[in-house]
Formats: sequence, C-alpha cells, structure tokens
Amino acid sequence: MTPLQTTGLYDPAFEHDSCGFGLIASIDGKASTWLVDQAFSALAKMSHRGGVNADGITGDGCGVLIYRADTWLRTLAEEASIALASSFAAGLVFLDHDASAAASAQSQLEASLREEGLEPAGWRDVPVSDSPCGPLGLSSRPLIRQIFVNAPSELEEAVFDRALFRARRRAELALAEDAAFYVVSLSAATIGYKAMAAPGQLRAVFPDLQRTELLSSAVTFHQRFSTNTLPNWRLAQPFRMLAHNGEINTIRANRNWALARQPKLHSPLLDLSDIGDHVSRTGSDSQSLDNMFELLVEGGIDLLATSRILVPPAWSADENLDQDLEAFYQYYGLHTEPWDGPAGLVMCDARHAVCALDRNGLRPARWARSDDGHLIVASEAGLWDVPEQHILAKGRLGPGQILAVDLVEHTLLDSAAVDRINAQRAPFRQWLREGVVYLESHLIDPALAAEPMPADMLARFQKQFALTCEERDIVLKTLAETGAEATGSMGDDTPIAVMSQQSRSLYDYFRQGFAQVTNPPIDPLRERLVMSLVSQIGLEGNLFDLSVDSARQVLLSSPVLSQRKLRQLLALPHLVDRQVRIDLYYDEAIGLRKALENVCAQAEEAVAKGAAMVLLSDRYPQPGLTQIHALLATGAIHAHLTRKQLRCDCNLIVETGTARDSHHFACLIGFGATAVYPFLSYQTLFDMNQRGEIKGGENETVHEIGRTYRHGIRKGLLKILSKMGISTIAGYRGAQLFEIIGLDSEVVDMCFPGTPSRISGAGFVDIENEYRAQLARSRNPNYTLPAGGLLKAIPDGEYHMYNPPVVGHLQTAVRSGEMRHYRKYADAVNSRPPSTLRDLLQVRDDCTPISIDQVEPRERVLKRFDSAGMSLGALSPEAHEALAIGMNRLGARSNSGEGGEDPARYGTERSSKIKQVASGRFGVTAAFLASAEVLQIKIAQGAKPGEGGQLPGDKVNPLIARLRYAKPGIGLISPPPHHDIYSIEDLTELIHDLREVNPTALVSVKLVSHAGVGTIAAGVVKAGADLVTISGHDGGTGASPITSIRYAGTPWELGLAETHQTLVMNGLRDRVIVQTDGGLKTGLDVIKAAILGADSFGFGTGPMVALGCKYLRICHLNSCATGVATQNDILRRQHFVGAPEMVQHFFQFIADDVRGLLAGLGLHSLQELVGRTDLLRILPGITAKQGKLDLSRLLRSPEANASVRDYCVAGPLAPGPTDLALATVRDTRAAVANKQGGQFRHAISNVDRAIGGRLSGEIARTWGDQGMVDAPITLTFDGAAGQSFGAWNVGGLNLVLNGEANDGVGKGMAGGRIVVRPVEGVQFATQEASIIGNTCLYGATGGELFAAGRAGERFAVRNSGAVAVVEGVGDHGCEYMTGGTVVVLGRSGLNFGAGMTGGFAYVLDLERNFFDRYNHELVDINRISLEGMENHLQHLRALMQAHIDATGSAWAQQLFSDFRDVLHKVWLVKPKAASLAALNSELREAA
Amino acid sequence: MSERPFPFLKFARALPAEVSIPIRVADFKEINRDFVDGEAADQASRCIDCGNPYCSWGCPLGNRIPQWLKLVKDGRIEDAATLMHETNPLPEICGRVCPQDRLCEGICTLDEGFGAVTIGAIERSVTDEAIKRGWRPPEATSRTDKRVAIIGAGPAGLSAADRLVRAGVSADVYDRHEEIGGLLTFGIPAFKLEKDIVRTRRRVLEEQGVRFHLGVEIGRDIAFGKLVDDYDAVFMATGAYAAVDARLPGQDMPGVIVALPFLIANARHQLGTATDADVLPDLRGKRVVVLGGGDTAMDCVRTSVRLGAERVTCIYRRDEANMPGSRKEVRNAREEGVIFRFLAQPLAIVGNGVVDGVEIAETRLVEDGDERARCEVIKNSSQTIPADVVILSFGFLASPPEWCARFGIETDDNGRLKAGGGSRLPLQTSHAKVFAGGDNVRGADLVVRAVLDGREAARSILSQLNVVA
Repeated sequence: MTPLQTTGLYDPAFEHDSCGFGLIASIDGKASTWLVDQAFSALAKMSHRGGVNADGITGDGCGVLIYRADTWLRTLAEEASIALASSFAAGLVFLDHDASAAASAQSQLEASLREEGLEPAGWRDVPVSDSPCGPLGLSSRPLIRQIFVNAPSELEEAVFDRALFRARRRAELALAEDAAFYVVSLSAATIGYKAMAAPGQLRAVFPDLQRTELLSSAVTFHQRFSTNTLPNWRLAQPFRMLAHNGEINTIRANRNWALARQPKLHSPLLDLSDIGDHVSRTGSDSQSLDNMFELLVEGGIDLLATSRILVPPAWSADENLDQDLEAFYQYYGLHTEPWDGPAGLVMCDARHAVCALDRNGLRPARWARSDDGHLIVASEAGLWDVPEQHILAKGRLGPGQILAVDLVEHTLLDSAAVDRINAQRAPFRQWLREGVVYLESHLIDPALAAEPMPADMLARFQKQFALTCEERDIVLKTLAETGAEATGSMGDDTPIAVMSQQSRSLYDYFRQGFAQVTNPPIDPLRERLVMSLVSQIGLEGNLFDLSVDSARQVLLSSPVLSQRKLRQLLALPHLVDRQVRIDLYYDEAIGLRKALENVCAQAEEAVAKGAAMVLLSDRYPQPGLTQIHALLATGAIHAHLTRKQLRCDCNLIVETGTARDSHHFACLIGFGATAVYPFLSYQTLFDMNQRGEIKGGENETVHEIGRTYRHGIRKGLLKILSKMGISTIAGYRGAQLFEIIGLDSEVVDMCFPGTPSRISGAGFVDIENEYRAQLARSRNPNYTLPAGGLLKAIPDGEYHMYNPPVVGHLQTAVRSGEMRHYRKYADAVNSRPPSTLRDLLQVRDDCTPISIDQVEPRERVLKRFDSAGMSLGALSPEAHEALAIGMNRLGARSNSGEGGEDPARYGTERSSKIKQVASGRFGVTAAFLASAEVLQIKIAQGAKPGEGGQLPGDKVNPLIARLRYAKPGIGLISPPPHHDIYSIEDLTELIHDLREVNPTALVSVKLVSHAGVGTIAAGVVKAGADLVTISGHDGGTGASPITSIRYAGTPWELGLAETHQTLVMNGLRDRVIVQTDGGLKTGLDVIKAAILGADSFGFGTGPMVALGCKYLRICHLNSCATGVATQNDILRRQHFVGAPEMVQHFFQFIADDVRGLLAGLGLHSLQELVGRTDLLRILPGITAKQGKLDLSRLLRSPEANASVRDYCVAGPLAPGPTDLALATVRDTRAAVANKQGGQFRHAISNVDRAIGGRLSGEIARTWGDQGMVDAPITLTFDGAAGQSFGAWNVGGLNLVLNGEANDGVGKGMAGGRIVVRPVEGVQFATQEASIIGNTCLYGATGGELFAAGRAGERFAVRNSGAVAVVEGVGDHGCEYMTGGTVVVLGRSGLNFGAGMTGGFAYVLDLERNFFDRYNHELVDINRISLEGMENHLQHLRALMQAHIDATGSAWAQQLFSDFRDVLHKVWLVKPKAASLAALNSELREAA
Repeated sequence: MSERPFPFLKFARALPAEVSIPIRVADFKEINRDFVDGEAADQASRCIDCGNPYCSWGCPLGNRIPQWLKLVKDGRIEDAATLMHETNPLPEICGRVCPQDRLCEGICTLDEGFGAVTIGAIERSVTDEAIKRGWRPPEATSRTDKRVAIIGAGPAGLSAADRLVRAGVSADVYDRHEEIGGLLTFGIPAFKLEKDIVRTRRRVLEEQGVRFHLGVEIGRDIAFGKLVDDYDAVFMATGAYAAVDARLPGQDMPGVIVALPFLIANARHQLGTATDADVLPDLRGKRVVVLGGGDTAMDCVRTSVRLGAERVTCIYRRDEANMPGSRKEVRNAREEGVIFRFLAQPLAIVGNGVVDGVEIAETRLVEDGDERARCEVIKNSSQTIPADVVILSFGFLASPPEWCARFGIETDDNGRLKAGGGSRLPLQTSHAKVFAGGDNVRGADLVVRAVLDGREAARSILSQLNVVA
C-alpha cells in the first residue's frame, strides 16, 4: 500500500470503519453451493451499509471467509498442477506487483513454513477481473496469488494450524518492510477472499468464486464502510478469523496492554516468544482484535471462551447471573481488559462459526433458522431466499449475546449453552474465593482515616498545588455537597492552556476524547448497568495457565481511594513487603527530564526486584526540592514499565495533591494509574467543613466528608468513559484517550507516547518554571489563595474573550447600528492578547488591494452565515424568534436548535431555515422537517461533546411542553447518543431518511473538533451529507458540566484545517460545504476560518450578545436577567431588549468587515479565499510557550487530485431514492393532492429503506402532520422492509407490512398507523420471533404501531405520543419516554423505563421477573386491579383488540381469550411522578 | 408549572432606611441607617453571580463582590469581611464614599431594569458589623526587620500601611493633621462618613501595628532626607490640595470661598479641633451658590444646607447626565433642598465690594466624536444669580512638596508626581526608594483610586524589599 502523507493534520491512524456483516451455516454440516450463493447474495443486499468512494464506484472493501471448501480448493490446485496431501491448507497472499519483490516475499513465506516443518505445495495466480473494481480500488490492487501448503502425514489439524500461524507470523515479521505483503488467510479450515469492490461485485472480481465446485457448510461475509477513501485492500474483512461491525473504543489500551502483557503469556501449545508484537499496533481496530482472537485460539483457548473473554457481556451488573459463570468472567477479567465498543462479530475457525454482540448490543444482528437446518445471522433481516413458511425460528442477538454453530458436533449453541460450557471449564468460583480480597469501606479500620492537617500545612499545600478559591468554592464544594459536578453555561472563552499568560495546570493541556458518528457515547446514567469502575490490585497471571494463583487479587469498587483504603491496601500482608514509595520531588539542578528518568529507573528497579505496589507521592515535600507533576510521573513510569514489559507486575498508585476534578483522575488513569488518592482534595474539604463552609451529608462525620466527593468523582469518571463509549475502567486505564494541545514532543514522547499532540508547545523547562513559581508561592506565608478566574472573568484572572468591555462594545454597536462602534468592538477583539491559535496566524498585509466595489456584495457574504443551534427552551421565544427574523431578513439562516418549532412559524419570517435533528428528537415531525432548507444532524456540540442535554423542569412551560410533546414542569433529557446512530452506516441511513422526507433540503452534520475529526468528516461526506460543521470546543450556549466545558473538544482551527486537508486528500472536498463555528467574533475570524478551509460560518454567542445577553453564565438557572435564556414570564416580557435589527446589524457589520479585508487581500469573493493558507503568516506569540508552538501543520496544503476542487461545487455523494420510494409518491399523487386517500400494494425488500418517509414528507408539506387523517392512504407491502420503515409517518398514512422489518421502524412517527405481521402460514410463534429491529419508534410523537412479534433493543426510546403493541421488547425499552402508550405482550429485556418521565406501558410478565428487569429510578409498577382501575382495564382490552384486528396475532388472541387470568400477569408501568388517579382520569377523559 | 421566585425578583433593591430630610439636615450625622434583620442578606441574595462579574470590573480595586455577597447571604459576616479586606484595606470607607452608581453598582447587570445590588451599603454594614464583633484583618504570619515611612494618613497612606504591616513590615505614618484620614476626615462631611468610623479604623490599624505620627509635617518638623535615610522605603501620599483657579472676575471679593478650606474648617468645628485659622462663614439665612459639579461641590452644597443657608444653588456647565459627581449625591442634595442650574457657565462674580451674585451664561452640549460632549456658551444668554456666598469647587491639583525637586523626584506640568513606567516598579518615583500614589500622582480623584494606589505601592515596596507578597 502507498505510505500516507502525515505531514499535515491528517493521520491515517484516525481512520474508522464500520459495516454490514453476516454468517450462513448449515447446522448439520451439509456443504452446498446454495449456501455459498446465499452468502454472496446476502452480501450484495447490504451495499447500502458500505461506503462508496469519491469515484462513486469503488467500495470500501468486502470479503468472505469460507469454511472447508476442500473440493473446490483441490480443483483449483489440480488445475495449477499442485499436488496436495490428504491434509492441506490454502491461502490468498497479497504481493508486490514488482516480480522480484513478490518472489522474495514468496520465498520468505516458504522458508518460514519450512522452519515450522511444513511443506509448501505450490502457488497459483489468482485470476482477478479488473473491471468490477472502481478506478480507486484498481489503483491499489496488489498482485494476488494463492499458496497451498501440505501437512505432514499424521499431523493433527490443530497442530497444523498452529504451525501455519507461527509460519505466517514469522514471515510477517521478516517481511515487515514489504508494504505489499499480506496473507489474507492461511488455514486448513477456512479461506478468505477479499477485495476493494462493491459487495455485489466480489464474485465478479474473483472468477474463482464463480466456480460450481465451490460448496461449503459455513461462510462469513462482510461489507466495509471506511471513513476515508484511501484504498487499502488488506483492511477489507473478514480477517483470518473474524469480521467486525463496529468500533473498538478501547483500542489504544488494548494494544498497549497486549504489549505490556507479552512476557506474561505462555501457551503450552505454542511458542509466542518470537512472533513479534502479539497484536498489530497499526491498521484497523478490527485487525488488532482479530490478532488477539487468533492468538488466544491458537494458544489453546477455544473460540467460545475467547469471544466471552475479549468481548464480555455486562456480567457485573446482572445480579441473577449464575455464580460459576460470573466467576469465569471475573477470573479472566483479572488478567485482561475488555475490547470495548460497538461490536457485532462473526467468526469462524475449524470448530465453530460464531456471532456475538458487545455488552451494549449497539449493532444489529438478526438471525433465522430454516427447517432444512440452515442458520443465517446478519446485520439485517430479509437477506436470504428462504420462504417465511420454512423458517423455524427467528430472532436477534441482544446485548452481550452469542450464537454459535459447532461445526464438528453439528449443534446450535445459544448464549445459555455457551455460558454453560464456559462456566464449567475450571473451578473459577473456588479459586476466586481463595484468592480475591475485597476492600469494602465499612470493613476498614476507622483509625486509618485521614486526620485533618494543621492549617499552615494545608495552606502550603494549597498554594503549592495552585488551588484557587474558585476551584475550591465551585468545583470541590459542589462535588462534596451534591455528589455531582458543578454546572456552567456559555462555553469556555479563556485561552487554551498553552496560549495562556497565566500558569495553568498541566491537566489543562489534555482534551478528552469523545465518540462521534463512528461509535456512540454511552448513557452513563440511564444505562449504568453496562458500566463498571471495579479496579484490581495484584499481579496479572498467564491467561493460558488456569490456576488459583492467578486469582490472588484485591478488588476495589473504584479507583478513587480514600485514605483509609490506601492505608489498608499498603498494609495488606501479601503486599506489605512488596511496595515502594517514589517521592515526586527533585533537585532543580538536574532538571525535570533527568528527574523523570530517575523516577522511571527507580520504579523499574523496584519492580524488577519484586515490588508489586508502586506508590507515586507528592504528599511529602522536601525542603529545597521541586515537585514533579504527578501526571508527568505517572505517564512516564507507566510508559517506561510497559516498554520494559514490567507494567503487569505492579500496580501504580498515585497519591497526589494535583487531582481534584474528575478530569484529573481520568488523565491519571488514562495514562496508567491503577488508583488515585487525592489527598489535597480531602484535606481542603475537611477544612471547609470545619469552617462551616460545606455541610456534610446527613450523619456524615468529618472523616466521611470525602464520601460524597468520591461519589461525584466516580460519576464524573463514568461520564468521561461513556463519552468515549467505554464501559469499564479497565478498558480506559492506559487508553490515552486524549488529545494533547500545547506540549512539546520531548514531553509527549517521554510521558505520553503515542498520544496525539499536533502543535508542539511547552517543554520541560516551561513546565519547570511554572512549578518553581508555585513552590516559591507556597513558601510565602503572606500569599493568599488566588481568586481564580478560569470560570468567571475576574479582574487580574485569566483572560476571557467575552470580557465586559467586549460585550459592552458589541452591544453599543448593534444598538446604534454605527460602524464606528463596531470598530471599537472589533479592535478590542482583534488586539486582544493572543488567546486562540488563530491569534498567532496573521493575514498577510502585502497583497495588492482592490477597491471595495469589486468585492462581492454584502448579501452574498451574508448567505454564508448561519446562527448556531440554540433551542427554544434554552432561549426564550422572544430571543429565538428575534434571531430567526433577523437571519431571514438578511438572507442568512437561523437554526431551530433541538426543541422543535411552533408550526405557526413554518413558512413565515419567524421560521428557522435550519431545522436541527438532535438526540432528543423533540418535536421532530415530518412537517417540521419538511419546512426546512437545511436539516442539521447534531452529532455533538462544542460545550459538551459526547454528552446529552437536559432542559430543567423549570424551563418547561406550557409552550415548550407543547412543542416538545411533553408535560409542563417535567425536566427533559436528550440522550448522549442518537439512538439511531451507532456507526457511520447508521448515519448514512439517517441522512437517507431525512432526504426522503425532505428531498430538497441540504443535510448537514455537526461535529466537534478533535484529533481525527477530518476522517470522521470524510466518512460523513461518504455517508451523503451536503454540509459538515466543525465546531470548536469553545462554543456553547447551553448548560454543561464544568469539566465538559473545560476539557472536551479542541479549537476549531485544528479540526477545520484537518477536515479540509483530509477531504482534499481524499478527493471529497468538492462534495461538501464545510462550516465552522466556535467563538467567531469579527470579520477577521471569518477570513482566517475561510483560509483554513471553511465555506460557511456559524455564530452562536455573538448574536446572543447582540440580543442583550451579557454573558452571565446562568443559562441553566432560568434566571437570565436579560430575558434571553429564560422562560420566566417577567424576565422575558419586561427585560428582554433584543430586536431583529440588532442581529442584522451584527451580521452586516461582520459582512462589511469581511468585504473590507477581502479588498485588502485583493480578492473578489470569499470563495477565492477558501484554503489559501499561503495568505497566513505564523506569529511567534508573546510568551515562551507560545513561541514554541508549531502551527505549520495547520497551513500545510495537501496534494489535491487535480480534478477535484478544494471548495464545494460537486454536490453530495448520496444515492438517489429507490424505485419503490418513488412509486409510493407517484401512485398517490392524486390521492394526496385531492385529499382523497386510497389503497396501494407493493413488494418490498431490505434495500428499500425509509419507505413511507417520502410520502409522509409530501403529505406534511401539503397538509401538515395531521391533515390527511380523515382521508387515509393505506400502503400494503409484502416482504422484508429495509431500515426506517415508516419513518416520519404522518396522520392519514397507514402502512401494512406482511413480512418483517429491520431497525428504525416508525422513527419520528407523528401519526397514522404501521402494522407489521408475518405472512400467513409461518411455523414460528410470533411472541418468540423478532419482527421489527432495534430503536423502533425513536422520537415518535404520535400514531400507532402494531407488530405481531418481538421488537429489538431500545423500543420506543424518547416516544412522546405513539401508541404501540408488540409481543416482546429487548433491553432499554421505553427509555426516556415522555408520552404515549406501549403494550408489551411478551418478554421484555433489562432496564425497562429508564429515564421515562411520561406516558405509560402495560407489560406482560409471564416469567414473573419483570421486577428485576425494569429501571427503578423514575418509574414504578402496579398491578391492574379489577377495582378502581376499570379505565386501564378497558384501555388494555381495547388495545389488544386493535392489535388482533390489525395483525391477526394468534398469541394476542390467546391472551385475549384468557384476559382475566392474564391481567394478573400484567404490570402497569408509569412514571413515579404521575399518580394512578391522574392517569385514570386522563384515560376517562380520553375515552 | 411552579416558578421559583428568584431573589432579584422577590426583593426589590433597597438601601437601609434614610433619616428623614428635616431631621438629617439639622446635623452632620450619617443619613443612612444600618441594615436590620437580615436585610443585608436579602439584598446580597439578589446577586445573580454573573459569569462576567461586571461589578468587579467596575471596581478599581477589583473587589471580589459576588463572592462576598454570597458569604453575606449565607450569614458569614467575618468571612465576608476577610474577603473584602483581601482587595480593599478600607471597605467600610469605600462603602460610604464611593460613587457606586458610577462604579460597581452602575455596571451591575441588574442595574438595568431591576436596580443594582446594594453593594456599597452591604460593604459598609458588613465591615462595621464584623469589626464590632471583634473581627480583625489577618495578621502577618511573620515579621521582617523592614521599615517604611508613609507621608500622609489619607486613604492612600492608610491603604499602604495596612498592606505593609500585614506583610510583616513596620509602617510609620506621618501626617500634618491632628487626626488620620486626610480628606476622609477633613474633606468629606460627616453626613457621608462619620468620624467615628475613621477613628475605629485608626484603632484597627494601630492594633495591626501601624504607628501614626500626627501633627508632624515632613519638611517642617522632620526633614524628608531623614526619612529617606532612616527607612527602607518612603511612600508619599500627600494628596492634592491646590484649588483649581478658574480666574473668575470678582473671585477675590469677601464672600467668595474655596471649597476645601471651607470643608476642612467645618470638619474641624465638628471635631472640636478648630483653630483661628479655620474660618467658617456664618451661612444662616444666606443665599449660597456653589460652582462646580463634582462630589466636592456636592459636599459643599449639603454642608451649606446644614449650616443654615436659606437657599443653596449649584451651578454646573454641563447637564445632569454629564456630572462627574455621583447621582446618589445629586439626589441627596436635591432632597435636602439644593437647586441645580445645569448648562450654566459662570462668567463672573458680581458685587459691590461684597458678593452679590454670579453672572452666568447658558451653554449647550456639542457631540464631539466619541469624547465626552463639549459645552459651548450660548451667546447673549447671560443672567445673574443672586448670592451672598459663593463657594468655588472647580477641583484640586496636586501640590508637590518643595523637597521633591531636591531629591530628584520628578513631577509633570500639573505638579503630579511621576510614578511607575519604564523600568520602575509600579508607583515608584524617580527616586528609587520613594514611592507615591493617590491624588499627588493622579490629581484629585476618587478615594477608591487612592486606596488602590496605596495597595499597589505597598506591593511594589514589598517586592523591592524582597518581602514577597
């Protein structure tokens, strides 16, 4: 493959991929060509799950792994005159086109095989047709040959496979320099074929695959969607063992720990010492996971165990789990960390074909079993050609479930069967009982608790560690009093740490990673059950060596230690003599670097001599010595011990005064700390408590004051993990999920190796200088704690870009409308001390200016301006409408935000042209979407990427409640992820859904800047978006936890430049409009953003300030005194002073400013400026740190494909609507136009996606959401519907589906009816079979759904009005529901009703375990008694009857005929806040 | 939907009750009573704790106002006093004499539409209360052998003294007057700042270790050079006492007096320390005209009212909005019966040997770019306001002591000491050991800026003496 350019900001390491996958197997072991044909046709039907490249043809790669196709292989060998032994292996090998390079690679592989005692039988050229590959795929096609290897006679196949494995690994090691060499697979049992081609073309690419001799009893297949277009054949899947749909979020930790663990792993079957790194450290995450699978399986752990060890279910939260099984997970958990993240896996080895899902079940996997013994599992239902009447059973894999075919014993193993096998492998439970020690707080000797320090000592520490009053009074106090982080608003307008002229905490240089698009964040509150902070102290053992000795561990419930726990740990008998304390102080004379080298050496020596506990401590200062920051020391020692392969022999405990908020802990743990003891936080809290400044909790003694604080930190840690989509602290530890901004490579390489750090910055000497000053202050008794100023603009504190003078000048300017006042504002901004990266980029002033008349008119500039999404709810209606009116009058666009919009505003000048689709889907209906010019999918927002939002109940007044389909006064939550976007192909689907409902709107995707956002953006473009927004970290008008405001996301300069460079390099730049936002204030900002690659510009805070916002940062309190961000009547009516003219003035000033600057540059339009980085000059800055920044990578101009322009001209890469979608509209044109209704019937298949959406859009545009209720149109379909069936369905549109449907049925439904029922004559019981997929009714606001079968995970999430009857649901049913009614006539999964604040559900509980399956936080469950609840009884009866009428469900009929008995087994699930009486009367009124 | 009443909507802005007008003009007592029964906490709770704490920005001292308002709200009086003293050595005085409506309160977010938080009143009452309860400013944690002389016991001098002793440096304060305070005692009338308050502060400072040498004039009683020799540093806080001379025709007539001597004489009469030099005209039944629009003019009009004048008129050449004095004082003066003539330029003092009136001309304001509006005399608009006594209050200039030149302490053309700039420490004069601040550097200015200079001069001195602070 071509080495990729990494000199700019684009780095191939950031690439992500995702996909569709599947597996077809004959349980009986019958090999057939039918099975192989089915595999290829199923693969072809998943094209829409894959990516298409810039050339519009080349796919991102697809492949198959075929089990035991011996007949075929023998034929191929025979034709190539290769003599095969009775036992042989075959494999495809990618080689260099250069003949001599290929020959030498071949001979190396042969030599390696011989070393393992194997005999290469010969090579054959694999025929390849070029035409089915696109130009991009073709340009990178390797030479493909096939090798055959004979096994020595009598060699067991397992031994043969291990030898093949070793030979391949040894050859890979020897050929590390040969970029082309790659073995697709080499095994006696399976053979892989893969190509960069569209999935329907795989057979066309490889004529081998068209041979009639090809028959098999099991085939896995995969279709890839990569976020880039740079071709790479080897990353197509399946790999040697598995194919993966999803993303491993913990990949960096997994790779690092795999390296650290290498010396621990000894297989009795296989020598692992000379095969190089156990897992690949580059390439895709899936590839590394495949390496690990292979390693464990070849090392002797079978595939069933390996799957469960590496990708375990959420076992720790399941209280009913079999104890032996729990012990299995716990035992292996002591020696490995999960490979965590969305994962649908299909695997195949000599013994098993397996499909497994990660603990969150975030990827779909539907299975069906036919009456002739075949099993299919795939991303979608409806992929094979087996009539429904021949299906014995069908279902879907739920979170953490596994389904396997034993290809030798010919049995089908479900999760329970696999678990039974695993639980019995060894006496795990007994070993754990003997080995594991739990440190439980209440068992610990209270005498070990920390004593409050003397006041002067505390003051010294506080000064030394640069505590401020602000941090103490806001951060620590809030944590200790409420157990949660403090909330702030209005983003972060301070300089990033490296730009600051103040001494800033080292932690401030670290920006947290977060999931967007390619993987979802987890909801740490509502889906807490999948998460765990359990940390262990002890030594890791050999995974291959099962023994009680490996179970000698201490388990902690979290890595945040109290003093008692720390002392107890250090005093444990088996550790007391095996520990070392390393004091983090050094003599300045030797310098910080040397000091770090010393502590690394100290740690290495101690561990080598047997120390199991390394305590790093800054608790014991010594006179004359300077501190080493705990994070530097932790990172350096962790990296050093990992390199020396000693890390797994010890635990790193950090005792530090530097750790105060959850981000600090996350940094320490993310860079390797096992556990952290934050002594200064506790001591400060003790002191505050003694002085009466904080109230402890009830019955909380002074010693326990830290408990609530710890609780808050733990919550914060969970949030940080969940933002990355990581479930367990074990997967986070050492994962380095940060981007460093502003540290020199000398620091990064030594302390944080491998962490993205792209602009250099402060070196050891700068860090040292800051600590020296801190230490001097600590010795000065007269120095009092500084006020702070990071959160609020305090005079003499940190600089704030929206400081009072800036706000004042801006308001004067927009009120007067006079340019001279704007100039004052702009001068105040443009002449500020360098605070942002762009402040160090100066626009050249040596161009030949042109007259301003020659510059494009103001109106054209204004068209490039949008206001950022701010919801009605966050903003007062007055402010929201003033903004919309102002923008509309300018010909620019305002953004509705995520709170819906009053239909009365549609089509008027009060309407927002951009309609936002966010995770809460509040008020997102067909009419809402149809009223837009731009539909913006908000993936993340600058102030809190990776997190959901919350509108406090105080702000939910009747208007807001109406628009959001909620109840007044009840708080509303937006989930962290879009529940219909867990990966890039899901985003493709949502974009498609939106295009269907509003074919004329541009679809925009809003991302937040971070390292790798460019590749995400490339993926977004490939997913078909028209517009992509890169938000900076500093934006944000909404309320967020303070740590999110301060530590997540990066400056837009980096993200925008990276995005522009990546898109240009991938040939995608001309297909998308790139927008940036985040703290844009003046024309100069716009000019610089355009130069860095933006076509369009978003403004959030600026127009708010123009409307009167004074930057009070109290948006979350509803008390905004300027009436901007409040729903309080008095404040809105009497104190809001904003007017649309102010907004107009603001943007007109900026547009004129831009025009003036363009004239100065001699340019006629903004378009000419896009990407012109030659017009910027880098300034040295005014501080030493600024001077060390290297911004040259921002200005790098990538080599662009000459045919591709570097600004948007070509339009999106979206495939058009399907014929069926067009037909639904064409057929009904008259029925809609005349409002007369009608009946229509069509066949449907899984490639027909979002069917109904296009028609709903037509109806909504013409008549509104409910306008056709009286003249319904009924569409009947036969077959398996593709995703998003009935999306955005409106009143008067009835869809009837005879067959089954995939994910997203009825998403955003506002009215009408959807019926899904099996075809007649099926053999399976409907209540046992899946009929609709995951995330159905997401964000529905009305309508009815009747489905005669089970629904998948996350049914009716955020439903606020739909009525549904289904015959079973998966986990997380009715999550965040705020209205509507759900009837579940079958089993429901875990965590039912989490975050549910409105509506209600009737749940059948035949197994009598629903009590353990619902989420107790916000809902309660009640029996429906015959007395006093007649209304419910009648209601339920009526719904069941309606279900029977619509679907003809036999199961429902049976229940109905037994209604009185069944009633005792039904729970009424309702929000605790709603009283039974109130519900009754509501029902009465409704009836 | 339940709506929580926000304190700033629940409680209106309220100052402590004022003494009724007829009673208050009968003597020189402070016109504001204290907050009672948690009023201070209620008022403090109105603060919305803005992300941009405008009040702190509006305060020359950068007082941490929202933070101490929160402490007041929580009833933590002593903690609030401690925090107030972190930025301000004299909070009870600033709380009384600052023109808050032009500083912290004028910029308070709530000022527009709600009424600003009563920052000044809270500041003063909390400090009074804390001191009454026995609270004292934090003591030095260690003492040094450094000594600093301070010339002038006005706000700048006191402020510096506080900072120095709190850093363990001894401070000797010399003042030619018989009581500390400078203009705080002798310039500002007691109805704005009762003299007990200054005496209490004197006691507090003395307890902290400040030594006052009163009635001692440097250059007369002690040579300046001796201070320079004996001390590690000298801080000059000598004020601005030279009246601006408007050279009005007739200004030398009997009945025309200058504001500051008038106020000082009155103060001394109140204190009972008046000498023959402190001539206080008998204003009973007289028509008094005060020329000028600053706070000193306001002090003069209101003092005149209390001294029994029949009719007190204030003449100012710009309009009310452009007055330099605090709006609060204008309101107080109006309430007490003072008549204001705005847009009136005095041309001459007329009379026949004794004052008979003031000839004025009408003016109009002319916008002049971004600067403050200029005023322009309207032709043929003159008229005469009758007057028995005319008080000139056109401001005061720094009057550098004669020794400055000898010691190489540079001044500018207006007599202001040059301080800071270049390689000098902030507020360091051209004599390395000598620092200066307050009105002698700025010209007549606000008390709070003098306090700021004292604080910052002390910081410079400590840094020069290597006493890090």
